[in-house]
Amino acid sequence: MACGSTSLWAGETTWFCCGSSWGPCGSAGGGACGTCNSSAHQAAWPNASAACFSITRPDLCGENMARRGCGSVMNVRHQCSGATVCVTVADCGPRTQSFCGESTCCNGSCRTNRVIDLTPAAFSVIGNLSSGKLPVYIYE
Amino acid sequence: MSHRQDSPERRGIDRRRFLTTAALGGATIVGASALGGLDADAAFAAPMPSLDPAIAKSAFAEGRITAINGSVLEVAGSYGDQHLIQLTNATSVWKLRPTTAEEIKVGDGLYARGVDMPDGTIAADAVWVNIVNLYCTVKGIAKDRLHLAHGAQDHAVVGRIVADTTTASYLGGALTSDLSRVRIGQSAQILGAWRPEDDAIDIARVTVGH
Repeated sequence: MACGSTSLWAGETTWFCCGSSWGPCGSAGGGACGTCNSSAHQAAWPNASAACFSITRPDLCGENMARRGCGSVMNVRHQCSGATVCVTVADCGPRTQSFCGESTCCNGSCRTNRVIDLTPAAFSVIGNLSSGKLPVYIYE
Repeated sequence: MSHRQDSPERRGIDRRRFLTTAALGGATIVGASALGGLDADAAFAAPMPSLDPAIAKSAFAEGRITAINGSVLEVAGSYGDQHLIQLTNATSVWKLRPTTAEEIKVGDGLYARGVDMPDGTIAADAVWVNIVNLYCTVKGIAKDRLHLAHGAQDHAVVGRIVADTTTASYLGGALTSDLSRVRIGQSAQILGAWRPEDDAIDIARVTVGH
């Protein structure tokens, strides 16, 4: 499936490790979909399944995003630089409810709440891993 | 007085030209500050485009460093793959903080972003050494460390508080060196550098949630 340009959501993205790796990431495993790999352009979505949604609970932060299961494809764009990466959903996350109200800004414009997690490979396409989080628009 | 400001696209193309030229020319390593502006805070202040808008795909590598030969890092990927990472004057290096290539050691883990070169190496634009970004629960608090649980199995992790480095953000608020508001049971995102020697993490930033 190709990455599209229809607006889906907006918010913060963070990054996470998965699959075989070094250090504490070595225990991460293949994620909810069993295919997650830090070196692939993949993502975690808070509503990847009903079970996933019951953990992440983005609705408690006012984020009622649609369900997009394993294998769904999204375009993630940095709200300021315009850098874009096409990702495939491969895990459940982030835990939106744990950081309700958190904002990330650039050029004076902010996005609120963690709505997607990217693998290091994907996050590094649109930003710097040491920033930890970025404000993004999401398309499909 | 006039003031010329290049577009992000222009800066990206200039940067790639510098990077590949440096790699092909066998540039010496001078570390992250050669071009400046690539650490986290600077990246926020002046958002940078992807490595180069003119190329659809940048190169990426992950793994542990098995050897360092001059300015080339030999890296064993976690899936049995091998990488040669060429550091140049344009390479930004992060290891707990923006630093220089001299801080990189055999046995370190890394993520590297760059450009595939004709000789099979990756000319690195950025190298993040031992970086982790873990969702954790705070299990204990000591003067110089946080005891954390990470992952579905609540894997125990020790997060070391590093003087003059560790900062905290409470629900995304401004960074502060005051960690006194961290509480047991809170969710916390730990951005830091893994320590291969003892499997602990030096904390660069703890973002405290609910």
